[in-house]
Amino acid sequence: MALYTAQPTSWKGKDLPNILSRLFAVENGHTLAVAKQHGAYDTISKMLFDKSQFELIQAVIDSGLRGRGGAGFPTGMKWSFVPRNTGKPVYLVINADEGEPGTFKDRLCMTRDPHLLIEGMICTGYALGVRTAYIYIRGEMLPQIAALNAALAEAYAAGLLGENIQGSGYSLDIYIHRGAGAYICGEETGLINSLEGFKGQPRLKPPFPAVSGAFAAPTVVNNVETIMAVPYIVKHGAKAYRQWGTDKSPGSKLFSISGDVKKPGVYEIPLGMLYTEFFELAGGLNGELLGCIPGGSSAPVLNAEETAKTTMDYEALAAAKSMLGSGAVTPFNTTRDPVKILESIARFYAHESCGQCTPCREGTGYVDRILKKVAAGKGCDGDIDLVRDLAESYEWTTICAFAPGAAWPVLSFIKKFRSHFDAYIAKNPEHTSPRDLATVRPGAFW
Amino acid sequence: MADPITINVDGTDVQVQPGMQLIEALRGPAKTDTPAFCYHPDLSVAGNCRICLVETEGPRGWALGISCHMKTGPGLKVRTQVSSEKIVKLRKGVMEFLLVNHPLDCPICDKAGECTLQEHYMGQGRHESRLDDDVGKQYKGGADFRFIDAKGEDRGGKKIDLGPTVVLDQERCIICSRCVRFMDEVAKDSQLAIAGRGDHAYITTFPGKPLDHGYDLNVTDVCPVGALTGKHFRFQQRVWMLKSVESIDPSDSLGANITIEYNLGQENGKVWRLMPRRNPAVNKSWIANSTRMLYKELAVNRFTDGVIAGQDATLLDATIAAQQAINGARKVAIVASGHLTTEDNAALIAVADKLGAKAEIFGGSWLAVGKPDGIARSGDPVANRKSLELLGVKDNLDELVARAGEFDCLLVVGNDLWAADASKAALLEGIAQRVVLSSWSNATTAKATVAVGIRAWAEVRGTMVNCQGRVQQLNACPVAPNPDLLPAWQVVSGLGGLGWSGEAEAWRAAVARVPQFAGITYRSIGPMGQMIVEVATPAAVGA
Repeated sequence: MALYTAQPTSWKGKDLPNILSRLFAVENGHTLAVAKQHGAYDTISKMLFDKSQFELIQAVIDSGLRGRGGAGFPTGMKWSFVPRNTGKPVYLVINADEGEPGTFKDRLCMTRDPHLLIEGMICTGYALGVRTAYIYIRGEMLPQIAALNAALAEAYAAGLLGENIQGSGYSLDIYIHRGAGAYICGEETGLINSLEGFKGQPRLKPPFPAVSGAFAAPTVVNNVETIMAVPYIVKHGAKAYRQWGTDKSPGSKLFSISGDVKKPGVYEIPLGMLYTEFFELAGGLNGELLGCIPGGSSAPVLNAEETAKTTMDYEALAAAKSMLGSGAVTPFNTTRDPVKILESIARFYAHESCGQCTPCREGTGYVDRILKKVAAGKGCDGDIDLVRDLAESYEWTTICAFAPGAAWPVLSFIKKFRSHFDAYIAKNPEHTSPRDLATVRPGAFW
Repeated sequence: MADPITINVDGTDVQVQPGMQLIEALRGPAKTDTPAFCYHPDLSVAGNCRICLVETEGPRGWALGISCHMKTGPGLKVRTQVSSEKIVKLRKGVMEFLLVNHPLDCPICDKAGECTLQEHYMGQGRHESRLDDDVGKQYKGGADFRFIDAKGEDRGGKKIDLGPTVVLDQERCIICSRCVRFMDEVAKDSQLAIAGRGDHAYITTFPGKPLDHGYDLNVTDVCPVGALTGKHFRFQQRVWMLKSVESIDPSDSLGANITIEYNLGQENGKVWRLMPRRNPAVNKSWIANSTRMLYKELAVNRFTDGVIAGQDATLLDATIAAQQAINGARKVAIVASGHLTTEDNAALIAVADKLGAKAEIFGGSWLAVGKPDGIARSGDPVANRKSLELLGVKDNLDELVARAGEFDCLLVVGNDLWAADASKAALLEGIAQRVVLSSWSNATTAKATVAVGIRAWAEVRGTMVNCQGRVQQLNACPVAPNPDLLPAWQVVSGLGGLGWSGEAEAWRAAVARVPQFAGITYRSIGPMGQMIVEVATPAAVGA
């Protein structure tokens, strides 16, 4: 079990939420017995089953809960897209393929409080009329898989899953499906393909999964953290959930912070906190801040100045031309080298591109090779502009959001740390010599 | 056909069918050239090449989308390369990405000249290369990419022997997935797959398994680049040296549409390959490997002259001998068949009519009929069976055998009876004069007393009626092993003294006999064929 120290209950005179992290620091909180003492499965009672599906979906819409996997799509709205009475089953798939570099919140949730996920799945399943639900989990997450399996066994034994849950007439089965560790399987249609046994490559949309997803049936794919917030909304109502966060980004969110801070880890904080405040909560920064990746590696990087004035909510980050993403915060100080950081990020995206669409397949690799050359001190004049041009070419021309996610770090690092890149070019004594073009013939060989 | 709707392409209103693929609407009614690599009209939409990008107007303004995945709908507004600089730039970008890992080996590539990538480069790319050596191509054909998998199979690299018919040059592949989709969706035998991901993804078969399917050569047609090539055509000819004529598959009653590709470079010319010709109502874009290989027979074992009583003779002498045999006979059995064109059969019928009571016409074939494969073959090897039926010739070869003693002359045209069923055909050997017209030296010409060479199917103009009742045309390519050979109908016309001047006259004779052919002319048939006219069955007299 991963080490976890409880976060303070209040910070700077304000309470901190524990909607999701309630059991994180409780010993054996992952067991049903202990979890029940802390209120787990309270909702799996009249509290849930006396409500209509419509009421539940409306409560989630009212709560303003947004997808915590990265895209931030309003969860209630996603649920409302599911067509009714199509004669096909509705599937709920939990996206536990946490793979955004810097993100490590879902794995903690699944080891520390798997029952909250299961409870959330029962609530969601009931609201959407789901009979069968899947947890699509990253293959490498062995402790999490073990914890989930143990929790599922306990829940089945206690009559919380399976046929006729708690005498309500509602039945739900949950299956765990292990992925093989591909980043692209976190994209919902890539995930569905992988779940069906196909190669994990995103599908063309439309049709969207809500209409035709897993096994061509209506499917809702939600992140672990999103679903874990549902029991609280069912229990306390949308208004209680809205006591946290801002008006447009209500609620709490788990942030995984790593990098140059004294106490890296997972924190649950209300949305809308200043990044600088959050750094203090995480023990303060090491050294002088140079920049911060605000929401996972695909979120455009912020420089120190932007980081200082930005709050941690969807709107503020959109205004700063970045995104909240999966909530992976990675501040880095002036001893770090943005060129090397970008080289590493570009390597990741070149490695993880599924290879389906031309621009992403070829573009990410091409950019990776140029950046590698630049970082090795062999860059030439024009290389950085070439990289930027290539990233702009693949930014919006593909099936899924992988390519924009691969282009944004490239574009933002170059924009904000251009002088660092130019310094690398200058390291090459022959940087001004014309690039060694494979051809200088206009129009190739015609 | 639904009522047409109006869409707006680059500021111009265009009438199109609702719900059609936008790319087809652009290429068709909107007359806007739209490139595509992964899109194929007879395969599912994969949308991975991204070159057909267009902008469409939606609720949130102009948005990028791929025209192969969009459907036409009322009020759709589209911007293409004609009016959008952004599209021009992005397509250029896509083209650059496609070429990052594609070699510039067009001079030695078999696909050059009919390569989609080459074609669209001129329209959409035309950039200077920005690649330099350090960040250059990840040559999938290079030694670095080659590896031996767990089962000892050679993977990646150049000139990979995929199976009995197809060779793969991995470094040319642009991962469009057309071949994979062809095997999955049309052949329904998933023998190909894309392994790996990113720019190291590659096409492969399953470990230890070849690509081996009766339709697998179609993957070489759908391949937009020179990655998949057929062994039969590899390094044979540059495609721009080929001429083509439109024809149909003469070996099957579906009559898959093909083009005959030939040139006159060698003595008397040569047919180099047969390619499928798209006809959505018949064979879509596919032909069977067996159809494709028919061209090989055109240059092998041809019967180019005449034979009289076992001795070689000129065409003229043999024709005269055949005429004498028929004229001198007491009773002639004429065998029409579904292997011949409608014109040939019309000539045989006309001769039988002219000879009157002296002649009797029989027809049919002893070849076994198989099952349709659901792709481009009906399974019936008698290509023109339907036409023979319409002409009123019965399938009664067995009757001929039973009554062989009544005849002293037999006329067989283009029908290898002795190969189809030697034991039955042996009973025909009692007929004194056996006149055979044939394109090939075969078991039947060996049994002939007089044999005359005729042109083969690729060398004649004519019509056949496929099993759907579609009248389709064969066209003649000017390649023949002996330029003096004549089509069967013309030889028959000569034998019977019909004096017909051309195929069209033979066709008109057929139209005169068959009400279902009413109004169908060579001009009206066209490249896609024309359905026969429905004729109400007349009420039986006296009923």
